[in-house]
Amino acid sequence: MAGAADLLGPKADRAFGLKLVAPAMIILIVLLALPTLLTLVYSLHDVPASGSSFGPFVGLENFTIIFSSPVFWRSAQVTLTFSVGFVILSTVIGLAMAMLLNQRFIGRGLARALLIIPWATPWLVIGILWKWFADGSVGGLNAVLMMLGLTSDYHPFLSDPNTALPITVLAAVWRQASFAGILLLAGLQTLPEELNEAAQLDGANWWQRFSNITLPWLRPVLITVTVFNVIYAFLQFDVVFAMTQGGPGDTTQVLSILIYRQLFVNTNIGLGSALAVILGVVALIGGLTIVRLFYRREMH
Amino acid sequence: MTTTNATRGFGSLNRRSFLKAGGASALAASLLPGLMTGTAKAAYSGTLDMLAWDFQPDTIKSLVGEWTAAGNPAVNVAVIPNLGYTPALQTRLRGGDKIDLFYNFAYNSQKFVNEGWAKTLNGLPGVDDMIADMFESARGRHVNAAGDIISAPYFSAVHMLHYNEKFLADAGLAVPTTLKEIYDASKSLQSTVASPYVAYWVKEFCEEYLHTYLLNEQITAFDDAGQPVFADDPKTVGVFEWWQAMYQEGLAPKSLLTDDPGKLSNEMAQGNAAFYVLHHYFLTSIRSLEGPQSANVKTAPAGPSTLQIGEVLQMGQSDSDDERLATWDLMKYYGWKDTDGKFKVFNQWAKAAGLAAPYAGFFTDPEVVASFPDYYDLALLSDTFATKSNVVPARTLPWYPDFQAKVGDIVHALLLGQATPAKTVEDLTAAAKGAQGGRTL
Repeated sequence: MAGAADLLGPKADRAFGLKLVAPAMIILIVLLALPTLLTLVYSLHDVPASGSSFGPFVGLENFTIIFSSPVFWRSAQVTLTFSVGFVILSTVIGLAMAMLLNQRFIGRGLARALLIIPWATPWLVIGILWKWFADGSVGGLNAVLMMLGLTSDYHPFLSDPNTALPITVLAAVWRQASFAGILLLAGLQTLPEELNEAAQLDGANWWQRFSNITLPWLRPVLITVTVFNVIYAFLQFDVVFAMTQGGPGDTTQVLSILIYRQLFVNTNIGLGSALAVILGVVALIGGLTIVRLFYRREMH
Repeated sequence: MTTTNATRGFGSLNRRSFLKAGGASALAASLLPGLMTGTAKAAYSGTLDMLAWDFQPDTIKSLVGEWTAAGNPAVNVAVIPNLGYTPALQTRLRGGDKIDLFYNFAYNSQKFVNEGWAKTLNGLPGVDDMIADMFESARGRHVNAAGDIISAPYFSAVHMLHYNEKFLADAGLAVPTTLKEIYDASKSLQSTVASPYVAYWVKEFCEEYLHTYLLNEQITAFDDAGQPVFADDPKTVGVFEWWQAMYQEGLAPKSLLTDDPGKLSNEMAQGNAAFYVLHHYFLTSIRSLEGPQSANVKTAPAGPSTLQIGEVLQMGQSDSDDERLATWDLMKYYGWKDTDGKFKVFNQWAKAAGLAAPYAGFFTDPEVVASFPDYYDLALLSDTFATKSNVVPARTLPWYPDFQAKVGDIVHALLLGQATPAKTVEDLTAAAKGAQGGRTL
């Protein structure tokens, strides 16, 4: 069918296309590009708390202050540890759940529906739930561990610098793994059964089928899931803030909490914006690296 | 924003002379109650905007509604959660939101004036009387070093030692009055209670305890210029040694670094703790929990001197003088007395939660006395406000919020054994100087 654009030629085609995407572009520019640009500009100024002006231009001074501060490096280390744990566990547990829910068993429908619950719960609520779950006096986690005979006494997980970060990672993973599970389950459902059946007839064991058929089939979904997980990991705020507010000490002070403090509590707008720029760049590099690694392997 | 002498209305009066003059004014004011509170109805006919945090929002609306019903302007009350109140308020103000009257934390008050988000109250009718009516110890929270009046009280409290009288009596112990005595008594009580001492040591609150414990040992934290002179006092290291020992030796539970105060009140009510240092009104929550030990919990001064805290009301930017005067009328009603000279609003907060007002007359007002449950020793409380507590005036300086935000990390490092007491003194000093110097992480 000849459309309006065909009748008017390629130039008109481009103009027509631009008109169609214009509303979405305007929304994107207003909601995404402008704040990003503003953050970049703020990061180069000593912005007054009142926001009445940009304040004096300070060049890269905010970045110098940040990079010379041990607080930043400690927070970067916490963020990296959190992110590595979060990405690996979310992806692996999500994949395991997807594999399990792809099997035929009684109650599979219910189990699949339950998988959505953590994902449908807001991050902040997850944080509050887990704060109580991990509580050192009345928490369910301690009760379970005691029932299993793994501990003889209640442990204050969130006050202990050795366990606070792992517990916040677990809380965040609890939600994100279900998201990964849902996406990977959708991917698994498109895998033709004949492939596995043929491999099974050829004598391939479970691991061989998983590594040579399932994983390659899921690669595009895995890339998406992993990139999402990397971005969520670097930008995680709600769960950690609700559970520990960055404590004890600076044990769980991820960069997003440091940014929140600088921007909204101390109103160091310039410094907070510079931190946000750094975190944004790190998250971008992290996401792109994952994509590149996956595709490079695929090309090989 | 800088204020000029003209806007201050006090000429070159400094805080010392102002506070001194306050005493004389108090006497004069007490003879002239009509002058203190009597105002003509404001000419403002619009609606005032008020922002509060969500402690009993229905009560706030009801109190403000009564004010409006008495022929005053309508008030639009917005309530936002306590957690994250400062970021939310600052963001609204940065965005150009016009709020006539808002709750604020005292440590933010000078910063808000400097940023142009809050107006001083200088020269408003009756404001000098309000200050004069306060305990002298409380005035430093509302009047800055230049003599500007930057806020009115929303409520006030003093850090007290809540103790289990029965546990102490059974162990043959007297009520401890120093940090050393608390340590010794806690050691003795460990056979009764595993971790006898609790306190709200989460990051955000460590700064209040820093001052409470320094004041207990009569150490001055900051001088009039805001310099961290605690670093020069040899007793300071001892305070941090005590603090670290209480945690490291298990005299305080390990979970304290993230426990909320409601849970700690319950620990006292259930008999799982023998000492609890926090604001005086936590006695209400301990008693109202009606646990097996609730009735045995009493309060005593936390030391020879303690921290007096108080959150404040600040006046936002008004479009006209009439609006400003109407806001001030509301402020007086909410942060001082109603037109009949009664502590109507404060009395309501006393009934609701045992909150106090930093006015001497508050503790002797028969209606207020009747509002406090019998288990409160109001004479002790009043005396603590009057002579045994300190607001630490540096807490309102514009750089202070930056310092306040850093204390938690430093104190937690001490408690976790990651820093020595001497290093803690160094780190806190550096944090204070860094905050004064400008942008630091």
